[in-house]
Amino acid sequence: MTEASTHPELVLTRTFDAPRELVFAAFTDARRLAQWWGPEGFTTPDATADVRPGGALRLDMHAPDGTIYRGGGTYHEIVPPERLVFSTTILDDDLQALAEVHNTLTLLERGGKTELTLRARVVRADPSVAHHLAGMEEGWKSSLDALAKYVAQL
Amino acid sequence: MASDQLSITFGALADPTRRAILARLALGETSVTELAVPFRISLPAVTKHLKVLQRAGLITRGRSAQWRPCRLAAEPLRDAAGWMEPYRQIWEAKLDRLDAYLNDVRSGNHQETTDD
Repeated sequence: MTEASTHPELVLTRTFDAPRELVFAAFTDARRLAQWWGPEGFTTPDATADVRPGGALRLDMHAPDGTIYRGGGTYHEIVPPERLVFSTTILDDDLQALAEVHNTLTLLERGGKTELTLRARVVRADPSVAHHLAGMEEGWKSSLDALAKYVAQL
Repeated sequence: MASDQLSITFGALADPTRRAILARLALGETSVTELAVPFRISLPAVTKHLKVLQRAGLITRGRSAQWRPCRLAAEPLRDAAGWMEPYRQIWEAKLDRLDAYLNDVRSGNHQETTDD
């Protein structure tokens, strides 16, 4: 048993060639969130983000085939431009949460670039969400395939 | 209870002391008394955490009244870890797209949408 398997927490680190303020805004400005939150080809037309402690987040992703993947959330802690604590939920069609994930986002300034660390911890999850996620993962993969094809043509 | 096993597993894992207890048990079975030592918490407090872990099916305890060794039960952890992998993939792809978005904004190629 490795340590990772006793810590079902996701830790992702990425460096972006952009100032912290912009990366922070990408997570707090609904119009910006709508530009990148879903897979390529998906749209998030009704994104809302009430950026204050306890404020709600709503991100419904519309797949090209018409399927809507509903998502919600709550902002918990907002320290621009360095730290953001928020939860995200995966919702079923009746807006019941199938899963709730607690996310901590840290942004570090690295010579004009921004190092992002995301720690995601699952708070609760309905077993049916595994199926739901698998569908979402397919969506992401097919959109990445489409992107790869597009890039190959350039 | 079985239908909500994942929630119970994740709930039990939400506490850092309980995760530390599991990490310790990953090294081998041990007694409650031994478990309590590195955590600087009382025996009843450890027992409480163990009950949560046991309900979640993450540990099993021996039957002997004198020494009830705690043992890690790996199955629910594997289920929980299996849940995380697609989620990781989705986030990796999301960050790819965020990167592309930020580059667009920086290079001025991106049309900023506004309400007005």
